[in-house]
This record gives sequence, structure tokens and C-alpha cells, in this order.
Amino acid sequence: MVTHAGVGGGTDITARMMMVAAPGEFGQEFTVVNRTAGSGAQALQYLASRPADGHTIILMTQTHLLTMLRNRSLPQLSDLIPLARATEDPQMVLVRRDSPLRTPDEFLSAGRARSLRFGGTHVGGVDHVAIFAFGRAAGLQQPTLVPFRGGGDIVINLVGGNIDAGLLNPAEAESQLRAGEVRPIMVLSERRMAGFPNVPTGKELGINTVASTVRGFAVLRGTPDDRVARLEQGLVRAMSGPIYRGYLDNTGQSPDSVTGREAWGRQLTGFYEEGREALTALGLLR
Amino acid sequence: MEAFLGGLAVMADPYVLMMVVLGTVLGIFVGALPGISGSTTIALMLPMTIAMGPIPAICFLGAIYCAANFGGSITAILVNAPGDPSASATALEGYKMAEKGQAGLALGMSAVSSAIGGIVSVVVLIFAAPMLARAAYNFGPPEYFALALFGLSMCAAIGGDSAVKNLIAAALGLLIATVGMDLTTGVERFAFGVMELSDGIGFVPVLIGLFAVGEMLDQAARRYGRAQIVFADAARVPGWPEMKKCMRSIWIGSGIGTFIGALPALGATTAALIGYNETRRWSKHKEEFGKGSIEGVAGPEAANNAAVGGSMVPTLALGIPGSATTAIILAGLIVQGIRPGPHLFTEQPTLLYAVFASMLAANVFYLVMGLYMARLFARISLIPPAFLWPTVFVLSVIGAYGPNQSMGDVYVMLVAGLVGFLFRRAGFSPAPLIMGLVLGAMVEETLKQSLIIFGDDVTGFLGRPIALVLFAVTAAGLLWPVVSRLMRRGARAASA
Repeated sequence: MVTHAGVGGGTDITARMMMVAAPGEFGQEFTVVNRTAGSGAQALQYLASRPADGHTIILMTQTHLLTMLRNRSLPQLSDLIPLARATEDPQMVLVRRDSPLRTPDEFLSAGRARSLRFGGTHVGGVDHVAIFAFGRAAGLQQPTLVPFRGGGDIVINLVGGNIDAGLLNPAEAESQLRAGEVRPIMVLSERRMAGFPNVPTGKELGINTVASTVRGFAVLRGTPDDRVARLEQGLVRAMSGPIYRGYLDNTGQSPDSVTGREAWGRQLTGFYEEGREALTALGLLR
Repeated sequence: MEAFLGGLAVMADPYVLMMVVLGTVLGIFVGALPGISGSTTIALMLPMTIAMGPIPAICFLGAIYCAANFGGSITAILVNAPGDPSASATALEGYKMAEKGQAGLALGMSAVSSAIGGIVSVVVLIFAAPMLARAAYNFGPPEYFALALFGLSMCAAIGGDSAVKNLIAAALGLLIATVGMDLTTGVERFAFGVMELSDGIGFVPVLIGLFAVGEMLDQAARRYGRAQIVFADAARVPGWPEMKKCMRSIWIGSGIGTFIGALPALGATTAALIGYNETRRWSKHKEEFGKGSIEGVAGPEAANNAAVGGSMVPTLALGIPGSATTAIILAGLIVQGIRPGPHLFTEQPTLLYAVFASMLAANVFYLVMGLYMARLFARISLIPPAFLWPTVFVLSVIGAYGPNQSMGDVYVMLVAGLVGFLFRRAGFSPAPLIMGLVLGAMVEETLKQSLIIFGDDVTGFLGRPIALVLFAVTAAGLLWPVVSRLMRRGARAASA
């Protein structure tokens, strides 16, 4: 099981949580290989260096897709077979408490009149692509990305008034949401979120885009079909146990996180295309 | 108050408590070892703390820092070889006392005054912290940029004696900080297609290399004399007359230490030397100084331990380290995903108060251990370097490899070790390099963020009062020497 996260990183923990029940399903021990360099590039290289026999699984995120897009010598999405999704964490559009943009309507019309400043991770990263896609789907002027080191910095600068909006997972802004220092304008998921029943989805407002951070498993293409099917079943079962459920709950991930290869594959293809369009339009793809 | 109690409650966790005890023992141990200083040890231990979680990790490192300052005085008194640079002032009077047969008393006084100094400074820290917390949300990228610039303006003064050499080292640190992917463009810089470099050069391998391996190479290149230990019984708890005599020195030392520690760029060693001078200046028994004055032990020891608490203020509240040791602790926090700054006080008050509580506990622990086991600790200076340093080297390699399981980090560590050795040989201090490395990424990122926020309009800084004040302080600090020279010349010209 190869991941791009360091020991103790979010994705690493997902892998280890899945592995609690996995040996029982497969009758085999799992080990995690952390290949942290190059935003997933090293993890992809490691996967490619191993035989396509289903014994090496990658736990990947959207980051890997963008890394592939920018480095064509790495295995591409077409070289992988998706197995199952492990986590899904929908993102919401947040503004600070005293922001003049109080309602979705005010927010959207302001965004059409001027370029809103969004906080996100680095230029050309997953947040940038999601913000770009959101802006386009909502017919906004192309938003300005203010890049930060992570979700914590984005929230602080949102409260401090240095940016107009943030695209964040609820868990990243949990304490500020509870204190009422930031307000959700809309969630970018298919359905309303259980914790925020009064916050509309983007789709309800006519914005045809969803944004979430996802993690899931894949193997190299060429892995025999029967092994792929066995892996998909085993992984999904291993992630249906109480320990993994509890982990999803505790980290604020969607309870519908775990899904099989079909839905996960569709999602990956969607992100891949969205990422390609966004990076091309932003001039980040040669 | 709630947060403070929360912090105390953390100390009730046996795991955290064990880490503090372990840190204290280790701190005294390495503090007493000439050659291995607190900063070397903290650099070496850094990778092991990553798996601990933030609170035990910072408590552990904080305890080492506190105890190493005391540990240094043991060998300063018994062997006349300060185990830690900050104990060099203690050796002046302490060894003289030992020669007079008062080694036990000197050790006892060192332990008591160290603990008082340390506790006073932590208490000051506890009261000063909430005041800084109020500023938290007012700190955005423009303010951090101004702060980082202020920190960088100190680089000439931190570390070695030569301002030029310090600036060269700091510039090197800034350069290293530019390696890796740039946040605002998404472009890799100076990675030369090496995947390990695309995420930048990690703090941990650089610190281990500079401090541990650099020191090892330096020691290996030296001739060793055998240490001579002065005979001493267990430390003697100072009696009432001695305490009465030294109370004034202890207060002076505590005050000076806390203040100097809180100033960015000045650390425990400076505090101890100034503490020694001031103790002598205000002493009623000036004639005893130079011949083994007990006040001359109490003053600097209170000062160097008070500086520990003091130096945590800029480190935690502003993200600007006051010394090499706090620079490493700062890097350790960043590795844990905690970005120090005023936000820390609102975001994670429990973590902060746990740090304070653990430092208080460490001060009490080493007081007890120091009084009963000082003689034992002194024996470790007899460990032959031929066994000691290879062990350090093995730990260094493991420490660099561990966190990311990457050989790339080991190579970075080895190169940093060579740099550290050459630095020592050429009279450079590694501290400004670390300042440059830590602040370099910050100064560049926050400037770019600020400009994006201001819509590429530099005058946007004029609308940020906190940033303006910090700019003014920086400018004043840089221009003062020039201005004062001009004024003196002007005065001379006028009188002539």
C-alpha cells in the first residue's frame, strides 16, 4: 500500500484505518510504503516499478491526477484501475461573519461584478482547480487565488478579512463555524450535508459543480480481472466495519465515503478532465 | 484560566509526564556532557518526536531545553568545562568554589537558583501570553511579512561574534529556503529534476546535520585532553544564610534572564554573562568575586534558566526564535503542523499552557535530581568520545531517514553536516543559517500573498498599522548605529 503522505499524515492514517480489518478479508498482512516526494510523483513511480499483480495498491487523491497532468512521464490515469473510494469530504464556500456578502445571491452577484479573492492551497493545486471550476460554473469573474500553506491559514485569513471567501472542508473550519466567526454560503456536494441542513447546495442554486477532497485505491492496469474484483470487494468490506466507520465520523468525512470502483472511477475521470481544463485555461499546462 | 487548567490537566497524563521526566534526565545528561549541547540534542531528538503528537513532543523538547541549561553547570563546577555554552559564566565562580572544597554547595546553589529563575520566567510567560493573544486575528500575511523582515534584520546579531559572517550564513539559509515548489506559482525551483527536492529541503535533516554531525566532525578533528573531576559529595542544599546572601543575585538573574530571553536574537548564554556582570555590580561582597563567590554562581544560573522561559515568548507568539535551540523547537512545531504566531494563543491555548506546565514541571524535576544525583551526572563527562560520537552519528542517520523514510533526507543531512563542520572551522555560527531557512520561506510567501491581497499594489501596506509599526521598528534597529555615529560626530564637530 503506497501513499504520498508521511507517517501520521491524513492519507497515511486512512490507509492504516482500512488496514485494521483488511488482513481478515484477504488473509494477508498489509504494509504501508510512504513515498512522500513530488506531490504523489514518487508514489506513482513506486507503483509503476512494481509488477501489475495486485500486490501493490496506491492510495491516491486528486493531487496525483494534477501531478500526472503536469508530468507526462509518470503513470497516467489510463494506466490505473480504480478499486474503491475510501473517503469523501465535501467542500463548502465560507465567508466571514461580518462579510457584506450575506446570501448566495449577494455572493454570486458580487462575484460577477469583480474578481473575488479565494483562499486555497498552492497555485495549480487541487483547491485552485476546484475554485476555477466553481467560478466558471457559477458564471463569476475568474476568482483570484490567494495561496496558503493549508486549511488552518485559510480560515484565519478568512476571519481576519484578508480574503473574501474560502473553499474548505467543514472539519477545517470547525471551531470557527461553531463560534459563528465564519458563515457557510453553500455546500458543493450532491446533497445537503447532515450537519448543515439549512445551507443550500450549489446545484440547488443552479451551479453545476461539486467539490470535495477524496481518497481512494487503485492498482496498475494489467492486473488480472479476478484479482481486481477480489480487491474491490475486500477493500469495500474492510471499510464497512465499525472501526473504519468511527474513523469517518470522527474526522468529519461523509458517511457515504466508501464506494466501489465504478463510482470512484467516474469521479476520478471527472476530476482528471476538470483538472486538465482548469490547468490549461490557467496557463499552467504546457 | 480554563485553558490554563486544561494545560495542567495535560500534565496528569502519565505519557506526557513520562516525556517530561525523560526530557529532564536527558537534558541534565547532555547538558553535563561537554561537546553535546542542548541544541544538538534537541536537533537529534526532533525526528523521534514527530510520532508523539504535538503536546508530548513540545513538552519533551521543552524539558530538555530547561534541564540542559542546569546540566551544563554541573560540569562547569566540577570539571571547569561548561557542558553547555550557557554555563560558561557559572564556571568562573563555580570551579573556584569547587577548588575550595565547596563543590557540593555550589551544585546545590546552582540547582536552587536555576529552578527559581526558570519558574519565575515561566510565570511571567503565563501572564504575558494572553496579552499577545488579543492580536491574533489582526495578523495576516502583511503583518507576518513585516514580522519576518524584523526577524531577518536580527540575523547579524544572532549566533557568532562576526556580523558579516552571520549575514553570510543567514543568506545561505534564505537561499536554501527557496528550493522546492513555490506556493504562488506552482513552479519547482532549484530542484534540478530531483524528486526529493521538489518539496523543499526539510528542517529536520538540515538541523541534525548542522548541529550533531557538524559537531562530531569538529570534535573528531580535535585533540582531547582527559577531564579531571574535582572530588565532591552529593550536592548540599544551601542553608538559610546562603540563601539570604544570594536572594538578591537570584532576583537580578531571573529578571535579566527573562527580559533578555524574550528579546529575539539573544539567548541563554548572553543572559548568563550579563547576569554575572550585574550580580557582581550589585553585590555587597564584590571582593569574593573571582575567588569562588556563591553569588556568582546563583546569578548567572538564575539568568540562563530564566532566559529559557523568556525565549519561548517570541518563539511561540511571533514565530521568531531567540536562539539556536528555540529555532530548532520552532522547526519542530512547524513539522508537527503547528504554525507559531499570535494565532496559537486562540487556536491552541491548551497546547501552550501544556508547554508552560511542562516547563514548570521540568524545573522542579531537575531541582530534585540535581540535588541528589549531580555527582552521578558529572561522571558522564568521562565517557570516551570514541564511543560517544559514533553513537551520535548512528542516531543522526536514523533520525534523518525516519520521518519520511527517504534516503534523500539522509544525503541532505550529510551535506548539512559537512557545512556545519566547515562553518565551525571558519568561525561561522549555524544559528543565522537556521533563522534564514525558517524565516526565508515566510518572508517570501507572505510578501507574495500580501501583494495578491492588495491587488499588486505595494501601497496596500500603508493601510496596515501593525505592519507599519513593525517596519518602523525594523528600520530604527537598522539605522540606529548609523544615526548615533552621525550624532556623535556632529557633537564632536560642534564642540571642536
